[in-house]
Amino acid sequence: MKRLITVVGLSALLGFAFAAEKVQVTFWHAFGGGRKAFIERAVQDFNFMHPGIEVKVEHKGSYRDTLNAAILAAKQGNPPHLVQIFEVGSQLAIDSGIFVPIEDYVPADLKFQLDDYIKPVANYYRIGGKFNSIPWNSSNPILYYNKDIFKKAGLDPNKPPQTFNEVVRACEKIIASKAAPKCITWPLHSWFVEQWIAEQGALLANNENGRAGRATDVYINSEAMKRIMKWWKGLYDKGFYAYTGKPEDWDGANQLFVSKQAAMEITSTSDVTFMQTAAFENGFALGTGFLPVPDGIERNGTVVGGASLWLTKGHPDKEMKAALTFLLWFTNTENMVRWHKGTGYFPVLNTSVKVLEWQNWFERNPAYRAAFDQLLQSKANRATQGALIGPFPEIRTIIENMVQEIFQGKDIAKALAEADAKADKALQQYNASVAK
Amino acid sequence: MDTHAAYKSRWLPWVLLAPTFVILLVFLYYPTFETFVLSLYRVAFLGLSKQFVGLENYKEIFTDSKYRQIFWNTAVFSFFVVLLSMAVGLGLSVLANQKIRGRGFYRLMLIWPYALSPAVAGVIFLFLFNEQSGIVNYLLSVTLGISPNWLTNPVLAMALLIFVAVWKNVGYNVVFYIAGLQNLPGEVLEAALIDGATPWQRFWKITFPLLGPMTIFLLIMNTIYAFFDAFAFVDLLTKGGPSNATNLLIYNIYRDGFEYYKTGLAAAQSVILFVAVVVLTIIQLRFGESRAHYGG
Repeated sequence: MKRLITVVGLSALLGFAFAAEKVQVTFWHAFGGGRKAFIERAVQDFNFMHPGIEVKVEHKGSYRDTLNAAILAAKQGNPPHLVQIFEVGSQLAIDSGIFVPIEDYVPADLKFQLDDYIKPVANYYRIGGKFNSIPWNSSNPILYYNKDIFKKAGLDPNKPPQTFNEVVRACEKIIASKAAPKCITWPLHSWFVEQWIAEQGALLANNENGRAGRATDVYINSEAMKRIMKWWKGLYDKGFYAYTGKPEDWDGANQLFVSKQAAMEITSTSDVTFMQTAAFENGFALGTGFLPVPDGIERNGTVVGGASLWLTKGHPDKEMKAALTFLLWFTNTENMVRWHKGTGYFPVLNTSVKVLEWQNWFERNPAYRAAFDQLLQSKANRATQGALIGPFPEIRTIIENMVQEIFQGKDIAKALAEADAKADKALQQYNASVAK
Repeated sequence: MDTHAAYKSRWLPWVLLAPTFVILLVFLYYPTFETFVLSLYRVAFLGLSKQFVGLENYKEIFTDSKYRQIFWNTAVFSFFVVLLSMAVGLGLSVLANQKIRGRGFYRLMLIWPYALSPAVAGVIFLFLFNEQSGIVNYLLSVTLGISPNWLTNPVLAMALLIFVAVWKNVGYNVVFYIAGLQNLPGEVLEAALIDGATPWQRFWKITFPLLGPMTIFLLIMNTIYAFFDAFAFVDLLTKGGPSNATNLLIYNIYRDGFEYYKTGLAAAQSVILFVAVVVLTIIQLRFGESRAHYGG
């Protein structure tokens, strides 16, 4: 009996010692609210299924806060293993030198997953021929519209406007019939401008959007940009376009649309789930359509927005392996399906799309359909691949300030020229600061 | 007189002061020194790499029209915030200092906004002044038929920002002014009353000069408030927009430093802000010494 107790006790001790040797992996991300809870549930599942690894997940605030926290932690020699970084931070992340090019670390038996990414996503995140990070949450802008208001205004509720002029014509009817106080809204955010540039097949920076070599010139003063600004300014002057007055106010634009103040909203596909719920709660029929584009141009498609997951350097082999095990599990086919259904972000793997199709998911949820078709129909070229610019966050502010100046009556040509000069200067300063 | 009377040994006071010095060194002097040093570098990625550039950052700040606008915004904002929050604070304190029914309640109500965090106040005003669905514009359009675009018009946006900052800080001034008013020597005012001075004369010739030291103190505190505490309001209400019309120095330092990763440039701006506050404080103290009446 005594011996039995000793054996049991020893093995318990051994078990404890084994448990204590779990490989610890930290994972920082920028999602709050429901998405944070969603991620935490997935991590719990992973830890349950992988007794040798313990993933610790932390919400670090906004995209910018997360990136800042990671850089500071790396500076102090204690970086998290995995960090979520927004798409326009990609060049910045590479230049910071605290991450490894992830493709070199993916074990041979899991390489197949890298070949499974849908084309537009692979195009964005494959930089210099390889994946520097694992694509995760990906989205596009689409048009959401209120079918009830369309009916009231005498418009076909199943035919959302496809082009800039069609938007203007629809707005004339909506405002004239007083079906809604404002016609259309979207956050005053550079992201939409970038998308319309890509739709026209134009570039935002030299050296093929910074993809063939480091960008040294930002193209703000372009015909493509002029077309966008003319239309936008026209909508603003006629009182068709509404925004809260604050730049980058996503919630404010959603508020205008779901409270039926505006008949249409252009915003991210990642809000499909939110919009469906909001439309149901506020009692209106929701429609979705492609992002309207300038008239007379061929639709090139949209740039993938969102964020990807990066692996920091300087960890023991064992930890790198554990981090990758988690990462590839977290973004595998079945988890991507769940992620898409729970948020509206794209299922970025071909196999996850197949699963969803097999489940007739898109037929049962047509709102998700427009979002996804638009992505799949995007042409693969330098324009839709998206620009790689180091100081992208600053360029975005410059573009947003420019839009506000144009609203206040500044001549469009002058505003574009000035913004272009400012952006070039910001880029030069950045390039000088990272020059080795 | 022996100044060491309280302590038997010479070093005991230094030992007792040591913790304070350590805290000052680590948390105040060292970061300040670092800021000065960083302002001479071009820094990438929050300090992962840096190169010495001398006074390049300062040159950029003083030649770029964007920074000129930011300095101007900061000056306008600070001037009006200090002036209005002190004037309104003094006026309300005089009213709340009268012997009337329920003055305790009035005072509490006046001080209340100060207790609110800037973040909460910012969000509340964002809702109130929303162009399309805010209650302010609803009331204005019902009564006057107008609907001002508070956040898209540069002048209105700045005015709104000043209004919110003043609203938030009036309570602070009221607390100090009421305390000051209650400590005024009653006999002087009584003598003036007997000599037939009007209330207007009593206030400007006696009360206001006697409040001098308090006014100087509040002037300094309000200036510091206007320079440093406006961050939350700008971030929540306008994000510096429309097109930099409400971008203040303190907000731009944050943007340059933590959103655009131009740490050196941000450090140089901090140094300028630091110098501005020091100079203003010295001027105010000098001015105060010659004008303020500190009594017996």
